[in-house]
Amino acid sequence: MLELSHLTKRFGSLEALHDLSFDVRPGEIFGFVGANGAGKTTTMRVVLGVLEADSGSVIWDGSPITFAARRRIGYIPEDRGLYPKMTVIAQLEYFARLHGVVRKAAHAASIALLERLGLADRAKSQLQSLSHGNQQRVQLAAALVFSPDLLVLDEPFAGLDPVAVDAMTDVLRAEADAGKPVVLSSHQLDIVERVCDRVGIINHGQMVASGTVAELTERGPLRFWVDVPGAGAGWYDGVPGVTLVEQDGSRWLLQLADDAGEQAVLQKALTLGPVHEFRRERPALTQLFRDVMSGTAVDE
Amino acid sequence: MNSQALIRVIATREFMTRIRTRVFVITTALTVIAIGGYILLQAYVFNTSTSSLEVGFVGAAQSISAPVRAEAAGFGETINVRPYTSAAAGKADVQSGTLDALVSGSGAGTTMMVQSKVNLTLETVLNDVVRGRVLDQYLTKHRLPPSDVDGQLAFSVSVNELSPVNAARVEQIVIGLLVAGVLYVTMVIYGQLVAAGVIEEKSNRIVEILLATVRPWQLMLGKITGIGLVALVQVVLIAGVALVLASATKLVSIPTLGIDVVISGVVWFVLGYLMYALLYAAAGSMVSRQEDVASVALPVTLMLVAGWIIALTVAAPDPGSPATSVFSFIPLFSPVIMPVRIAAGLAPFWQVAISVVLVIATIYILVAIAGRIYRNSVLRIGGRVKLSDALGLSSSGKPVV
Repeated sequence: MLELSHLTKRFGSLEALHDLSFDVRPGEIFGFVGANGAGKTTTMRVVLGVLEADSGSVIWDGSPITFAARRRIGYIPEDRGLYPKMTVIAQLEYFARLHGVVRKAAHAASIALLERLGLADRAKSQLQSLSHGNQQRVQLAAALVFSPDLLVLDEPFAGLDPVAVDAMTDVLRAEADAGKPVVLSSHQLDIVERVCDRVGIINHGQMVASGTVAELTERGPLRFWVDVPGAGAGWYDGVPGVTLVEQDGSRWLLQLADDAGEQAVLQKALTLGPVHEFRRERPALTQLFRDVMSGTAVDE
Repeated sequence: MNSQALIRVIATREFMTRIRTRVFVITTALTVIAIGGYILLQAYVFNTSTSSLEVGFVGAAQSISAPVRAEAAGFGETINVRPYTSAAAGKADVQSGTLDALVSGSGAGTTMMVQSKVNLTLETVLNDVVRGRVLDQYLTKHRLPPSDVDGQLAFSVSVNELSPVNAARVEQIVIGLLVAGVLYVTMVIYGQLVAAGVIEEKSNRIVEILLATVRPWQLMLGKITGIGLVALVQVVLIAGVALVLASATKLVSIPTLGIDVVISGVVWFVLGYLMYALLYAAAGSMVSRQEDVASVALPVTLMLVAGWIIALTVAAPDPGSPATSVFSFIPLFSPVIMPVRIAAGLAPFWQVAISVVLVIATIYILVAIAGRIYRNSVLRIGGRVKLSDALGLSSSGKPVV
């Protein structure tokens, strides 16, 4: 398990990370979301040891992470980087060798990964001759080629088309299912919502919300869609704690106060005619993200 | 995985990708061809002194052909004697160029016929031999045995050179300068390649993945080692071809190029390259764009140029001077000045040993300092990193990564 404990990092007058803590469990994909400059990349660099935190610690399997343990992390940095003029296969073999894989095994692992990522026919091509999406796949392959114990991926979906995103998520899910913790950051909240087991929202270097997608969306206001063709305006007025959010033809979006019972709303609706829909409205992660960003949960 | 194995993997990649580039293959081939061509040109076109002279002797002059040939051989000139019975036939051969000179007559009436320019050695030898003949005849006529006179003259003026110029010493100094010059050029070229290679990894952003895997100093040493091996291969190829051709055409006598000079050349190459490559790597890490490599590498290059100028102006004219000795102990200058002293045979072993130790100590210090600059600079993409930031002396400033 990877634990980040009370990380703080300053760059001059800017506090990039402020008492940041979270953990990522084996077999879990943890999505790390936040606005530009929120501290995602800094956090990942601290985990990798590329940057040093001013205080706090990174714990791996119960003890402070060592350089040897960090070498077992598969990493995709925000700024992609591979050798443009090296062939794909030579590149992967090099990264495997850097992680101590012997020559033959490095070659075998590289070939196997390229087949898995659908790039076997490009093995002998120079990296710079590949499309952007394929270069991204090679970047992922470079992070996986030495069978890492943990994956840290900064914006792995950036610039990928939907098919490539699916291929990438399949690979990540397989890695997580093999028992590895996977941490990724992304701006694409719909993908994060779909792929990640747990999500952390970071703002100004602080974790402002974290939990499973379901847990996070529970935090939203209690709202129900009710489709009652027979009802007229203000039909819900008799139920205490109910206010109208939106009306769309015969469909009504009602917000309930904490102590108001949704069964009372349903019973009232049934008295007015057949109810075609009665559904809890859960805010999308995007909505939640906006709420958090603009909300009061953030202090400067 | 230990550091050595890691550095070997990094160096192997550098070596293999660079040695296979078209640039390397073409520049090496062109240099070998240029140097080989120059040596062959020297040996067979410009250098006519090694060929022999065809000299014809007609009539009475035939009696002096043997002593002329013998004395000319003493001056290193080979003469092929061709007897003629007719002066006209000899003249025809001189005119057609198959004969270099035709000697006729005897005593004060001796004549040498040439096409346009007389060979000075031949003229001196001929005068000497003919005058000797005339003198012998004169002495015999006056009843003085020529051998007695020869005995009286069997001496030469003793010359007392206050500051003698040793011809062999001059050749040694030239060879020392050649060794130093090759080291100097190689360090400048390959040092800048190290700086460019560091910047390449910065501008490719690959350095972030690498630094998540290896220590900065391991990355730096791996790169320096790989590029250094490429330089070594190139120098050995070029120098090897030059030496083989030069000795095959007898242009240079290999014995003057002692084995100690060759070994010390290799040692100084390794030490000097390491020292300067570290400086170039540190300089390169401080900028992010290839355009900036020249400006940031300039101070390092200037140190090398300064050393080379001292080698040319101080060490070469007087390799035994105290100034030369002092400069040869300054680690940044040792690699280009010590080889001159060593080749001139003027560097006692203990002095060479001390300067080697000083350079190795400098390399150790540079590994620490350059490694520190490299570590603090290599992730800062954007403008030029201030030296104080690179050395980690000030903690302010956000890395623009």
